Parts: sequence; structure tokens; C-alpha cells
Amino acid sequence: MIRRLLPPLAPALVALLIFVALPMFWVLRTSFNELADGAYVVEAMTLDNYARFLGDPWYLVNTLWFSIRIALVATAISVICGYPVALYIVKTTGLQRNILMALVMAPLLIGLVTLVYGWIVIFRGGGLLNSLMIALHVYDRPVRYMWDIKGVVILLVYIGAPYVVLSLLDSLERISPYLVEAARNVGASRWTAFWKVVFPMTMPGLYAGLVIVFSLNFSAFAVPLMIGDSNTQMIGLIIYREALLNNDLPFASALSVIMVAVNALILVGMAAFFGRIILNRLEAKR
Amino acid sequence: MTRRAGDGRKNQDEMQPMSDDAIQVRRVMKSYGTMLAVDDVSFNVAEGEFVSLLGPSGCGKTTTLRMIAGFTDTSGGAIRVHGREVTHLPPEKRDLGFVFQNYALWPHMTVAENVAFGLKLRRKPRDVIRNKIEEALSVTGLSGYEDRLPRQLSGGQQQRVALARALALEPQVLLMDEPLSNLDRALRVVMRRELKELQARMKMTTLYVTHDQEEALSMSNRVVIMNGGRVEQIAAPYELYENPATRFVADFVGITNFLEGTASDMGGGMVGVRLPSGQVLHAQARVPVAQGGAVRALIRPERVTISPAELSGPNVLAGRVELSEYFGAVLRYTVRLDSGEILRAEVHNFDEFIAGGSRVWICTLPEHLRVIPHDPRG
Ligand SMILES: Nc1ncnc2c1ncn2[C@@H]1O[C@H](COP(=O)(O)OP(=O)(O)O)[C@@H](O)[C@H]1O
Ligand SMILES: [Mg+2]
Repeated sequence: MIRRLLPPLAPALVALLIFVALPMFWVLRTSFNELADGAYVVEAMTLDNYARFLGDPWYLVNTLWFSIRIALVATAISVICGYPVALYIVKTTGLQRNILMALVMAPLLIGLVTLVYGWIVIFRGGGLLNSLMIALHVYDRPVRYMWDIKGVVILLVYIGAPYVVLSLLDSLERISPYLVEAARNVGASRWTAFWKVVFPMTMPGLYAGLVIVFSLNFSAFAVPLMIGDSNTQMIGLIIYREALLNNDLPFASALSVIMVAVNALILVGMAAFFGRIILNRLEAKR
Repeated sequence: MTRRAGDGRKNQDEMQPMSDDAIQVRRVMKSYGTMLAVDDVSFNVAEGEFVSLLGPSGCGKTTTLRMIAGFTDTSGGAIRVHGREVTHLPPEKRDLGFVFQNYALWPHMTVAENVAFGLKLRRKPRDVIRNKIEEALSVTGLSGYEDRLPRQLSGGQQQRVALARALALEPQVLLMDEPLSNLDRALRVVMRRELKELQARMKMTTLYVTHDQEEALSMSNRVVIMNGGRVEQIAAPYELYENPATRFVADFVGITNFLEGTASDMGGGMVGVRLPSGQVLHAQARVPVAQGGAVRALIRPERVTISPAELSGPNVLAGRVELSEYFGAVLRYTVRLDSGEILRAEVHNFDEFIAGGSRVWICTLPEHLRVIPHDPRG
């Protein structure tokens, strides 16, 4: 089996090795190095960088724990917003389907920077939304929509929800309408049929969406950089700052290793939470 | 609508609220845009009866069954189950068992969970559920498969689970949509017998959809023949074969030869069919035909005598063998009559083989000849 699969997969494996495994290894190795005189990276074998992070409550609470919380909240909201949209889209066909798909994909296609600056135009203090609300006398003083946690979460949801929709659609499309009819036939209401048949069958898609969206959210740096404030020091942002602004590659590498490890742990936790039984039962069918 | 022969069980169009029938379908219609998928269909299924909907693909069988189950809305007409009007009830309020063509087993549930689902929704006590699962699985020959997932079962086993799932709820009526059509032929024949035996033992009122005439004829008490969204004939299998009401039925159920002519009354319960050649065929009158009206004489291939020696009598047709095919148990002849028509004949007990090109005489008895009015639709 492996011998048969290896030749066609070889280019992909080589690419994976060069572009993923080597950089990861390099990051891991660098995380044990030292920064001399605040400027030069010196080869070493030290755990100082890890100790600096783990020994400082600010890093632990205000970046790591904060990132986990923000990512979980944004991911949960993405699912809550994305699920009904996917349920609606799966019932459509033809032009309506294409238009809805284009709308869902738009945030992914526009590009992050354009998106963020578009949002700034709409949501800043004197932006379109506030002007409109004040003009309509909904409220009389500008409301703060961005440059704080709220803005970061909103934007993460805006970027994350399309992934949830896409991966849920993949699952939903595999569900034959006959399965729902069969449930209705034995006495299930619309809601029960959804909850007992459709929902469990979307677990693989939901889980895939969660993996993507949580990872994106947890490691986000552009969104907190552009739309956050001093209270939104997410771990991705700190890594960016240490690596590119402070030139402290060893510390940035240690942070990266910690980020990847924590991310992996949380995904494993999610897999357990989502019921390995249901995933396994449905997975093997593919 | 024109009422057809054989639909004589209930001759009123209006619904009979106090009827004992398990299913009453009255003047049901379904349109998709301008297309009428089901066009004014009426029939009944009596308590404990096995009725089949038979017809070619696309004739509206599935749509009819789905309207009874409540999966598809009706565009007109009414459906009653045990006298209760269900036309506008959601499927979960109808208490009808349904077996889908593709089984529709829930892939994330084991066999036992599939069967238990409806029982759990009815909040039955745990031990009752366990007993019913056991019973349904043993009846369908699935004991020991409780913990399998549907994908770990063969097609035949999945079909049995679908049946067990429906039977466990002891529904008032069992609806089945071509449940055997996805099985290979050998298994289909075995399952057909098992299904029929089970149905008879449980006295389960069953409405069965199929396009396979063998299935319909061998399993049903009565068959509803559908064509283009309409009912052609409703009759017991024997009646259907022996007394087809329309050309479509005669053609769809078995093979039939048609000879066109005009009717002439001969008295004594006999009707004559004057062929274009001037020859008059004698037939027993079963359906009223108008004197001088256009009719068709139906001749079943196996209900003829074929002989290389000249025969005499009223119903003798002369011709020449174009093709003779030997199938072991049966000899099939394709004969070109002197009048130019093709006639197929089948001989089961033969001791001579008539070669192609031979001159032959074909004879059929008046009681084997059927006459139907000429139907302008074809
Ligand atoms: N949802 C639908 N939309 C449009 N046409 C349909 C739909 N369902 C069935 N039809 C049409 O109705 C006719 C009857 O279909 P069906 O009841 O499935 O036939 P059968 O089961 O006898 O093969 C067919 O011509 C089919 O194309
Ligand atoms: Mg069908």
C-alpha cells in the first residue's frame, strides 16, 4: 500500500518537508538559542526563552490565555452564524446558490487589508455606521465599534464564518433528504429530525471548520494589529513584534513553539469533546 | 375522468368516511409546473391486503406513494388512512411505515439504533424497546447484527434493516417503494418470497411500488396499473393478465399480439372481430363493445396452436414462420400472417420444430381471445 502510494505522493512529500517540516524544525532549534546584546543570535542550548514566557504572568494571562479566550469566543460565534447560513444555502440551487456562495466567499477573496480598511471606513467613530445611527436618532453619541476587543472578535468572525459555512456545506450535501424523511416517517418532528439525524451527520464538517477557524483565530496577528488596541495583545501579534520589530528570533521561536503546542492540545481536546464515536462512524464511510 | 373496468370495488367518487379500508386514495393529483405527475388517481387498500402500484418508470408511482406518506404535498384530492383524513398532516402524524428504495438507513446509528429510533421518540420503556428490537431483527433474520453500522452490511441486509425499522413500530400500513430493485436478481427472488410470507403472516396492510411485473403479479392481492400519471386498471393479478382492460395493460403485463378490426355481435355471449381481410374472429364477450366499433383482438402467444398442417375452423390464421427460436423449455415463433401482420407464438410442450420459412396455420380458441375497444391514445 505505502509502496504503491509513495511514487505519486513523492513531490508533495518533498514540498511538505521543505516548506513545513524544515521551517518548523528551524523554529524549534532557534527557540533554544540566545540573543546577545539585544541584537545577535548566539547558538546555544538553553530554555531561557521558555522560562521568560512561562515565568511572566503578563505573557501567560494577557497574551496566551487571552488569545485562547478570544479564539474560542470568535470560533463559537462563527459557528453560530455559519450553521444557519449553510443550512439555508444547501437548499438552494442554480443562480441563487451561486450568488449566496459568492457572498459567503467574498471576505476570503477580498484580502485581509482591503477588508480591514473597508471595515474601518464603516465602523470608526465618525464612520458610516455611526453617522447613520446618529442621523436616525438611534443614539446620539458615536459608539466605539473598533480598536478594542469587540472589533477584533467581529472581524475574526467575519473572516472565520465562511470557512465554517464551506466545511458544513460539504457535510450537509452528503446527507440524503431521504434520511430526514425516514426520520419524519418514524415520528420525528422537523426539529427532532434535524437534531438527531442532520446535526450528528455534520460533525465531521463542523469539526473540520472548527480546526481551521480556531487555528486561524488563535494565531491571528493582522486583525489585532490593525484593529485592536493595547488590550488585544494576542500571541500571534507578540510573535510578529518580537521577530520583526525586536529582532529577538529565539524568543519569537519559543513563543511559536508554545503557540503550536497549545493549538494542537486544544484541537485534540475538541476532537474528544466532539465524540470520537460519531466522527469515526462517519469518517470511515468516505 | 373515464372510469375503467376493474375499478369496481368502490364506484363512488366521494370519500366514504366509515369505510373499513386501510387506505383510501381519492382523485389525488400532483402537478410539477404544467406537468401532471399524478393525474386523478383513486384506489383503496383493504385491511391486510397487499396492493401493488405497477407501471413503467416515470409513471407517478413514487409520487403517489410519497403523497400518501406525506413527503410530498398533493395538488388535489384526498387521502384517508383507516378513515382518518391525513391529506394535510405532516409525515410524523400519519403512523405509516415506509421502506425507501435506497433504504435510507441512518449511517451514524447502528442497526439496533436505527430500529430503536422511532420507539425512543414514542418514549417507550427501555425493556419494551429492547424486546421490540429483538423481535423486529429476528423476524427479518438480522439477530446478531445489532451493533453493526449500515455500511458494514450487504445490500440485502440493509434492506432487511429498513424493513425491521418500519415493522418495529407496528404501523397501520406499510408503504414500500421498489424495496428490492437495488438487489441482484437471485437475491430479489428470495427476498420477494420472504417479504410476501412475512406480510401474510403479520397480516400487514401493504402498498408496494414496483416496475417489475413479476414482483407485482406474484406478491399482490390486487395490482394498480399506472401509466402517465393515470390509473389504467385495478385488478387481481389473474384478472389483469386474462382480462386486460386497455392495450397498455395487455402490453405491459406479458406479451400480447394485437389484431385490429371492427366488432360485430354474434349473440350467445360471443363477439366477432372482422379483420381487414374480411375474416371474422370469434371471441367470448367480456367487456361491452359497440357494434361496428373499432376494436382490438388480443392473442397471448402461449394461447395458440401452431401447426405446419392446414387447420380449419373460425379462428385460424395462415402465415409463414419468419423466425423460430429455441430456448429449451420454450419455442418462440415469429410468424408473418398472410394479412401482413406479425404474430408471436410460444409453444411449451412441443414435439416438432417448425423451421423458419415454413408455412403455418395458427389457431386460437374463442375463450382465449380477448376484445378491447380501440383506444385512440394508442
Ligand atoms: N420533485 C419533482 N420535480 C419535478 N418533477 C418531478 C419531481 N418528482 C417527480 N417528478 C416527475 O414526475 C413524474 C413521476 O415521477 P415518479 O413518481 O418518480 O415516477 P415512478 O416512481 O413511477 O418512476 C416523472 O416524470 C418525474 O420526472
Ligand atoms: Mg419510483
